[in-house]
Amino acid sequence: MHELSIAQSILAGTRTALTPYPGARVERVRVAVGELTAIEPELLRFAWEALLDGTPDAGCVLDVEWRPARQSCPACGVPRQRPEHGWLMVCEECGGALRIEGGQELDLLQVSFVLPDDEEDADGTDR
Amino acid sequence: MAQTVDARQKVLAANEAAAQELRGSFAAAGTLVVNLISSPGSGKTTLLEASTRALRARYRLGCIEGDIATERDADRLRALGIPAHQILTGGACHLDARQVRGALEQALFPGLDILFIENVGNLICPTSYDLGEDFKVVLLSVTEGDDKPFKYPAIFARAAVSVITKSDLLPYTSFDLEAVRQQVATLNPDGAFLVTSARSGAGIDTWCRLLEARLAAKRGGRA
Repeated sequence: MHELSIAQSILAGTRTALTPYPGARVERVRVAVGELTAIEPELLRFAWEALLDGTPDAGCVLDVEWRPARQSCPACGVPRQRPEHGWLMVCEECGGALRIEGGQELDLLQVSFVLPDDEEDADGTDR
Repeated sequence: MAQTVDARQKVLAANEAAAQELRGSFAAAGTLVVNLISSPGSGKTTLLEASTRALRARYRLGCIEGDIATERDADRLRALGIPAHQILTGGACHLDARQVRGALEQALFPGLDILFIENVGNLICPTSYDLGEDFKVVLLSVTEGDDKPFKYPAIFARAAVSVITKSDLLPYTSFDLEAVRQQVATLNPDGAFLVTSARSGAGIDTWCRLLEARLAAKRGGRA
């Protein structure tokens, strides 16, 4: 259950990205999580909610883009369709060993936020 | 109006920066660093005890032990005459590079040939954390069952070496060694696959030769 430490790292990266925007309130954070990172998206979202609960950013949505690992055959030079939730042991065409590509992603992608001024405008409040 | 900024960076960027710093200092010192990962009870410490007995006369060895509680593992290695530092994570399920850096600041390790980092017993969480090691090793004991590589693909895909432990128990279990070998080869075609028993001594030579070869390669690359 290391999703909480991963969520903390996502929050730290988010804060760094928002350094040029003082007072910004985060609304949505988009991350990419690979199949081979041993991170469970549902637990990550849960950890994220727990982490932000009671802070000004509570309710911020964590969008998790799931990046599956792919298998391809170096001999045939083409990707091979994996069975759902499973792996091909060898290339179905040539019987050769397959390589695994991708699935190692654990990246912060985008941060969406509102500035305090925008929120006042939205409320129709005069400044 | 919400604004969106491109914040593209690795989630574990801070850990990776610390790991790169460690990697640089290990390279300068010519120390081979091995990060051992497995479930609790697979035999990480026992493999390290066997490795220590086999290698301590010729190499300066040291060990960082990660556990939730107790100094037990570090004590076992100190009893064999090598320096060992225990990191107590207090419940955390993995080591990170900053903990390793902290341990190295506290531990009085002499210039080491090989530093073993025994991670917290867990097949999942330690996978994502680079500790500045040369390579990860995953251990799987035959009593854990032969379905584990596909059930925990992340660590088997990432570890440069997969070590089957407790092979002396193979006759008493239904563990299908060939099936495991194929699963590991599927996930990690370039990885090494070793079958060992610290109790009988089987495979320990091969494991130690692998460490010696990797150490020589690291130092050869440096010269």
